[in-house]
Amino acid sequence: MAAARADYLTLNGISAVRARRRVLDAVTLLVAPGEIIAVVGPNGAGKTSLLEAAIGALPLSAGEVRVGDRRMVGIGERARWFFFLAGEAEPPAEVPVATLLEQAVAAPGADRRLVPDLIERLDLGRLRGATAGSLSRGERRRVLLFAALVSARPFLLLDEPTGVFDPLQLLDVVALFRECATRGTGLVITVHQMSDAETLASRILVLDEGRALACDTMQGLRDRAGLAATASLQQVFLQLLQTRDSGEDDPRAPS
Amino acid sequence: MLRRELALVLRARVTWMQAALASLLVGHGFVLAIDLYTAGARSAAVGTLMAREFDPLLGIIRPTLGGLYLALSLFGPLIGARSLAIEKDRRTIHMLLLQSGSVPRLLLRKWLAAMAGAGLPIAGAAALLIIWLAVGGHLKASEAVTAFAGYVAYAGFVTAVGLAAGAFAHNFAQAATAALLAIAATFAIDAAEGFSALAWMGGAAAWSPTGYLHPFEEGTFALSSIGWFAGATSGALVLAGIGCCFDLHGLRRTATVVAGVVALLLLCLAGRNLPGAWDVTEAHRHSLPPAAARALRTLPGRLVITANLDREDSRRLQLQRDTLAKLRLARPDLRVRWPPDERRAPAALDASEGYGQITVALGDRSVQTMSTSRRELVTLIFELADRALPDWSQLEFPGYPLVTEGGRRTAVVAASYFVFPTLMLAIGFAFTRPRRRTQ
Repeated sequence: MAAARADYLTLNGISAVRARRRVLDAVTLLVAPGEIIAVVGPNGAGKTSLLEAAIGALPLSAGEVRVGDRRMVGIGERARWFFFLAGEAEPPAEVPVATLLEQAVAAPGADRRLVPDLIERLDLGRLRGATAGSLSRGERRRVLLFAALVSARPFLLLDEPTGVFDPLQLLDVVALFRECATRGTGLVITVHQMSDAETLASRILVLDEGRALACDTMQGLRDRAGLAATASLQQVFLQLLQTRDSGEDDPRAPS
Repeated sequence: MLRRELALVLRARVTWMQAALASLLVGHGFVLAIDLYTAGARSAAVGTLMAREFDPLLGIIRPTLGGLYLALSLFGPLIGARSLAIEKDRRTIHMLLLQSGSVPRLLLRKWLAAMAGAGLPIAGAAALLIIWLAVGGHLKASEAVTAFAGYVAYAGFVTAVGLAAGAFAHNFAQAATAALLAIAATFAIDAAEGFSALAWMGGAAAWSPTGYLHPFEEGTFALSSIGWFAGATSGALVLAGIGCCFDLHGLRRTATVVAGVVALLLLCLAGRNLPGAWDVTEAHRHSLPPAAARALRTLPGRLVITANLDREDSRRLQLQRDTLAKLRLARPDLRVRWPPDERRAPAALDASEGYGQITVALGDRSVQTMSTSRRELVTLIFELADRALPDWSQLEFPGYPLVTEGGRRTAVVAASYFVFPTLMLAIGFAFTRPRRRTQ
């Protein structure tokens, strides 16, 4: 059992079943304030399920979610700690961007001091007068990211927030995530592109078929897979899969 | 934030499309009411007695609100369901709930915004009554406001039902179907009212909002009606709140839903038992004569009327709408029994069962009659109390016949079928035009 540390987000041996299929199998993860965890894995690995289980949207068949020594019960309690952004989330097409930004800033706990900088760096100023439905996919995602970053919640759980950005935009967004972490926010981000995970995460959780294959820094994962310091995350992932299939390691024991 | 929710409702094309369609429905009811009123008013010109029958509340407002009832029943649940279910379609519901941090706060905003959308046809109906005044019609403000208050309460109820459906459904399609089915169930209860084959549904009549709308339509401000709508709407919102709690699963969710349904039933029961009603009509024409009403309130003992009349019998409808409604204003404790409704299985009504007989009981004394006349029944009540019938005189309602023809009728028709629906579409077009970014 993971030790409870003050203000650490602890997913302690959580398992979950969706439509009679086990989508999470005894996954343990400790997220420290100021840490960025990237969750990677193939389709159906349980990345989205992990975040949904963390916020309580997916019932746990085993395990528990805690922040420090507090068990998460009720939406009010979860809202104090988490901001969740679903992968396919779209802001309502009818609503003007200005209204969406105001709503994000008016939410309980939002940090108004961040607003000017976030608006400038997410390039939202020129979108204020537009309705969300007239924006491109990347612009819509930036509006939602504004809400996440301004929320100032201790933990941001973001499901594939980077998939829609071009490489230049991705750099900006990654920089914003890092600054957010610097302020003490813990981020758990699911990433489909493994190269994105390498770029932004301080630690990477590798999931496959609902099980945690490993959770470590990039270098730690390379060492664990027995690969050279130049190996990519994709190579590490394939090696970890091979290792698990050959039964050389206990796949349920992330470091 | 209310502004976001208002934008979600009022910047949606579907809201303005329904408002335009609802305006057409309400306008059609208004034109038909004016034509019928005109046809009658032509013959009323020959005598004062006939003129007294021309009541704008029953002749104009009520038929106009009939169209509004249909519009709210059809579109109100959809607007309520959409405002929540669309967050599920767009995968923003969890984000929104966590962002808000409070389910009741979010639901209250959603409900108020849905009310604003569903309220557009109510504004349309009110505008038609201004047309009625403009063509020379008469309206008593207190009556009209009371009638509209009932429909605001009904709009609150149907949108809350829509929200509850949206909270439990996975998407808008499911939510819309569930919400419309819930409202259709109340139509089925209403249908049973005049259909003896559905007498077994008699007990369900207390769960249809229509029965609680009638007093408003008749210019009566009844606390039991307000209480029922408040209870049913709060209950539906409680259920919607439970549906929104995404962290409730399995048995806990089921148990909470059961508790929510029980809360809804209790709130409705508590609401409909609130005593007190006020007739705000001109000349208090929907009340018994003032002296009789005052004296009735002082009579000791429980008043029970047992009317052996079947649902399809027109005397029953007359008794309900006139005598019993007026008696209830004076004696809110009045209890009414309908023995034909208590039959367990369809069976022929036997003459020996005393069909048509009305038994009036006050305390432990009772008397029987075959008359449904208001004066006859009230006289019997006073006889049971060994008292004489008090002064039966009442302020005369003068009646307001009005012939609307020629240019004035053309204006009414144009406003009802063209101006208001087009205005709704035009405002909707202006509101819902997608705004582009500034370069």
